[in-house]
Amino acid sequence: MDLFRITHNAWGQQTLEGISWDLLPLAFGLGLAFIIGHLIWRALRKRH
Amino acid sequence: MASPAQAPLITRHAPIDRAFHWVTALAVLLLLASAFLPILGLKFSWVPLHWMTGVVLCLAVVFHTIRSTFFRRLKCMLIFPRHLREFAQRKKAAKYTLPQKLMHAVLGFAVLIATVTGAIMLARVDTPLWQRNPYLLEASTWGVIYVLHGASALAILTLSMWHIYFSLLPEKRAYLRAMIGGQMTREEAAEYHDPARWSGQRKDDPKENGQ
Repeated sequence: MDLFRITHNAWGQQTLEGISWDLLPLAFGLGLAFIIGHLIWRALRKRH
Repeated sequence: MASPAQAPLITRHAPIDRAFHWVTALAVLLLLASAFLPILGLKFSWVPLHWMTGVVLCLAVVFHTIRSTFFRRLKCMLIFPRHLREFAQRKKAAKYTLPQKLMHAVLGFAVLIATVTGAIMLARVDTPLWQRNPYLLEASTWGVIYVLHGASALAILTLSMWHIYFSLLPEKRAYLRAMIGGQMTREEAAEYHDPARWSGQRKDDPKENGQ
């Protein structure tokens, strides 16, 4: 998984283009994982 | 008629603050959708929607920064070491709990980065108001601006999911109602807030500092 999008300019030099969109599912997954984790913790806490 | 101290409902958010919140929320959701849906394969002309909504968000952020810095008590939102101690000791908070302050600080910082970088990126868009100038900055500097904009957008996506999730939890629903209607009951407020530190009657209680 890349962290950045890299392109080449007219002279063949590497230039930074932006953040890698491979990270988009990671950001969404992190959000979802925390929510699921919190729901489980909340349910267990209520039971005890 | 009940005195302000006895009134069953207390005011948590002024109409202007609620308007700011919902304008910002709508703008952020539109910006996330117009940025990420094309990446996920839903092709549409996203640039006009993105830059116009971005301008609205910029204006909202400038408004909120000026209002909260010069016309409201900024200290209400700051986090001091004593807040961490009080949270660990399970002491009731003033107007804002530590998790609320943390969410505001992190999400606010991410929105600020996205807004500032987005405002600079407007120079690369042709609009009825200005002509694009892609040579405003060097290519390497544009790269850094784009990385910061993208990274903050990803952070905003994750944090917005958490923010919406917490607002929908039954035990936190009073905060959502207060953000819609402005008020919550004293009973609801007393669950997480110390009435001695936040009475919800700022105008009637000059000592009330909400910190």
